[in-house]
Amino acid sequence: MGTAIQAFRKNRTLWITLAVLALLFILAIQGMSTQDWVITLLRGLSVGAVTFLVASGFSLIFGLLDVLNLAHGTLFMIGAYVGWSIYVRPDTFIDLVTPAAFLIASFALIPVWERVAERLRASRSTARVWPWIGLLAAITLLALTLPRYPLTIWDPEVYANSPVTNAFMANQGQFVLPEPVPFNGISPATVLTGILAGSLLLAFSLAGFSRMRSRAPQTSRVWKDFPWRSILIFLSLVLVGIIVFIFNTPISLWLHNLNTTWMFLIAMLGATLIGIGLGALMEITLIRPLYSRPIYQLMLTLGLSAIGIEIVRAIWGRPEFTMPKPSLFNGTGQGCPATSLADLVANKCSTISLLGGRVRTYNEIFIPLVGIVVLVVVWILLQRTRIGMIIRAGVQDREMVEALGINVRRVFTLVFALGVGLAALGGVLAGPSMGLSSGMGENLLLNALIALAIGGLTSYPGAAAGSLLVGLMQQFIIKYGQIGIHLPFLAEPLKPTPPLVPASTVLLMVIVLLVLPQGLFGRKE
Amino acid sequence: MENLLEVRDIHTFIGQYHILQGVSVRVPKGQITALLGRNGAGKTTTLKSILGLTPPSQGEIIFSGQEIQGRRSFDIAAMGIGYVPEHRAIFRDLSVAENLKIAERANGDLESKQRLIFELFPDLERLIHLPGTHLSGGQQQMLAIARALVADNQLLLIDEPSEGLAPVIIEKMMTAIQRLSAETTVLLVEQNFLVARQLAENYVIIEEGCSVKQGKMSDLAKDTATIQRYLGAA
Repeated sequence: MGTAIQAFRKNRTLWITLAVLALLFILAIQGMSTQDWVITLLRGLSVGAVTFLVASGFSLIFGLLDVLNLAHGTLFMIGAYVGWSIYVRPDTFIDLVTPAAFLIASFALIPVWERVAERLRASRSTARVWPWIGLLAAITLLALTLPRYPLTIWDPEVYANSPVTNAFMANQGQFVLPEPVPFNGISPATVLTGILAGSLLLAFSLAGFSRMRSRAPQTSRVWKDFPWRSILIFLSLVLVGIIVFIFNTPISLWLHNLNTTWMFLIAMLGATLIGIGLGALMEITLIRPLYSRPIYQLMLTLGLSAIGIEIVRAIWGRPEFTMPKPSLFNGTGQGCPATSLADLVANKCSTISLLGGRVRTYNEIFIPLVGIVVLVVVWILLQRTRIGMIIRAGVQDREMVEALGINVRRVFTLVFALGVGLAALGGVLAGPSMGLSSGMGENLLLNALIALAIGGLTSYPGAAAGSLLVGLMQQFIIKYGQIGIHLPFLAEPLKPTPPLVPASTVLLMVIVLLVLPQGLFGRKE
Repeated sequence: MENLLEVRDIHTFIGQYHILQGVSVRVPKGQITALLGRNGAGKTTTLKSILGLTPPSQGEIIFSGQEIQGRRSFDIAAMGIGYVPEHRAIFRDLSVAENLKIAERANGDLESKQRLIFELFPDLERLIHLPGTHLSGGQQQMLAIARALVADNQLLLIDEPSEGLAPVIIEKMMTAIQRLSAETTVLLVEQNFLVARQLAENYVIIEEGCSVKQGKMSDLAKDTATIQRYLGAA
């Protein structure tokens, strides 16, 4: 009891601010019917959940790595496009599995290659030259073989085979797979061997480069703790690649005939994993060399964001398109909108009848649920695991964590990958409700930044609270734009115009920062 | 006497500033060695250079027979060096228990270490579930030392353990450091010469980034001229 009062006194301003904000949103019920209020609240939750997926990753990365990842919105958008492609065109993805598996498998061998490069005992000048020669040879080999590998893909230039048409058909419930492209005048074995050899050579030369830079003394025995695990990973990945190659068409057909709910789950998982991989790659290759140069980093992530948008436009085309909702949330007809839980489960209704209004199951129920699940899972990761402990300690003092004998760099890569994975998951999740456009990430990143400023930049609960507030604020202003606010001394109800929607969140941020300069849950520096 | 750590003529730059311009330190095994010198002489940078937090650009550092300069900090620390930084850098967002747990290395034995830690600092046992923010300055210092004891470290680098603490607590801290020096070697940075004189067997004086004098503390105590000149204390 005593400690509760103490805790209250210590954070008095915070509690009063939160209470005032909660009161405001409750008071909003005065101006509208209960039905409108509940639906607006749920919509706010939904927008808040998507914002949270971007904001939480951004804040984890900023807290631990001190990197302002301005490409986070673009990565969210890429997640949406990748998720859409897995969902609507699984054949393309199955086609891509084999070359990707070969490439990743070769890179898994880098620890082995480093051992080999160590034993080469090349003279100084040769050691400097051979990685370059290897790199050139690898690129030539890959350039010769990779384009020969047949990829069944859409074509944004040809309307009948563009993502827009694909999306339109999918919305009608028709997922059409084009005929698989055959190998053209070259034997599949040659192409596959070429890709594998090229990737192996690429990984080998890259290992040579890292060897060239490090001045660490040579380890004397090769077989002492030999990296057997990477050989195992290599073999299993190559095996996966070959199996997928042999059973390419049956797997595509099986995925094609799968229920859209399952396909959506696969798309969510796939896009998250690809996001994690992309994040790890980005941290290792681009961010890592720039840790000591924050301005360059800012320019790098800003540039990457622009490049990402252009790449997406080149692959998927400029026009916006939609992503059909999974069948679990797309039922109509008899018994819909659902009035009871039993109805909902039996008919998989797309809408629920609540207090006389209609609530969309996917947008207003499913998205907030996923948001809450992610909130809890990441919270447990942060609070209950050793990695989480290291992250929390590292946010405060990286140098000291390193001085305890912990490889913080590895944790950096992990956090960056995790943050990008969360953004990609957010993208897939937002796809069916927002639709896909190459600019969808920019607005969301802005929202996420405002949410983080409100909640406190590096605070995880702050990211959640800020995202929720931003979502609620936007949806309530949109609703008031339709019905008008009855203010005292005004004859006409005040109707906020659409441009006031983003302005309102900025206003909320300004007010919160005036009262609590560190944000709601931010820590004083 | 065998040296556990030997620093040979290291030079360290921070940005463009040439902070260490030739520091050599010998730390005999099983003893306490004190780094003495005025504010800004380069004592803290010497500790950080040993750990690779501010890597030296020149010179050698030999720890239990192996050259460690140029390695990454976590690698050096994992070889058996514990670090207690100045200003008691404990992790404020972590509880006392977590502050200890994070220092545990692979196949470590936290429980038996905890017994030793609670014996040295009985206060910590009572505070074990509190977050770091709730500790007093003295308690934070105890926790910072305890954290360095969790892993099986052969050498402890302790930076200014008495800074900003009440005399009663300094007494406690000194007893603790003396007791743990029975098992580990200690390299200590200490502004307070009275504290250093009581604790350490050996001394190294650093002046403007150079090590200028080292030897037995018992000899230094008699040499008032040196004390006057380099430490400004009587």
